[in-house]
Amino acid sequence: MAYSEKVIEHAENPRNVGTLDKNDPSVGTGLVGAPACGDVMRLQIKVGENGIIEDAKFKTFGCGSAIASSSLATEWIKGKTIDEAEAIKNVDIVNELNLPPVKIHCSVLAEDAIKSAIADYRKKKEQKSA
Amino acid sequence: MNPFEVLGLEAMFALDLKEVEKRHRELSRALHPDKFVGAGASERRASLNKAVEANEAWRVLRDPVKRAEALFRLAGVSVGERNEPAASPEFLMEVMEWREALAEARATKDVGTVGKLAAEVRARAKGSEVVLASTFGLQKPDPDELKLSQIQLGELRFYVRFLEEVSAIEEAWQDEISQ
Repeated sequence: MAYSEKVIEHAENPRNVGTLDKNDPSVGTGLVGAPACGDVMRLQIKVGENGIIEDAKFKTFGCGSAIASSSLATEWIKGKTIDEAEAIKNVDIVNELNLPPVKIHCSVLAEDAIKSAIADYRKKKEQKSA
Repeated sequence: MNPFEVLGLEAMFALDLKEVEKRHRELSRALHPDKFVGAGASERRASLNKAVEANEAWRVLRDPVKRAEALFRLAGVSVGERNEPAASPEFLMEVMEWREALAEARATKDVGTVGKLAAEVRARAKGSEVVLASTFGLQKPDPDELKLSQIQLGELRFYVRFLEEVSAIEEAWQDEISQ
């Protein structure tokens, strides 16, 4: 299958690969899996006092499109507030990377990963203030 | 298409694949175009369609994931990405850890660790298959069992994906050795 140039670029030079300390209260970890293909994706955010995402890291075991989708997602959410990051839709990723229909689930996975990382961060924050 | 019916088998998960393969082979032989040389056009077409169906049935039944999917469909349960329960966070964490350990073992050429991980995941896959076999036996599955088995099918897909990765690594290593 032909990958778009942007997908290849991200897959060959993925941004922000790595891990953040999941026990750090300012870090939210999102872990999602694609049942159709058995791929897994972890996306982590580090949120500052002002609610802005200071850092984002990911690790994806999957196809080039899944890697590119999560790489792009971490690039986009850095510097955004968590509310702004939460508003990112999978179609934004599809459009940016020119993903073909069979790879749309990769962008869905990336959107889910962002949401799940934010949810984890919020849960930690509530527990801290409770 | 009901792949079990096509090959004349009971619709159940635990199949003797040798027997399934034998049925497929026999049916393919009986439906071979050479046997229909003197037949009319419609009969030739019908036998060709049946041969295609027999191939498709064999393709589905020899693959545990596809076989399970076929059984769910026969039980009236939709399968596929959006119809199945999402994997639990604990399970995904485990898969992530396995995948990371496998990537690490690949990078360090740690053959022993790759083998150990593969054995662990193979055992888990076997476990999922046992549950699927007990759900889809000779008796009609009950709804609670179907729900539990759906989770097993989802997990089985992750195991299969992992083991494909193991095969890819082992093949790559084989190629290096033979070069």
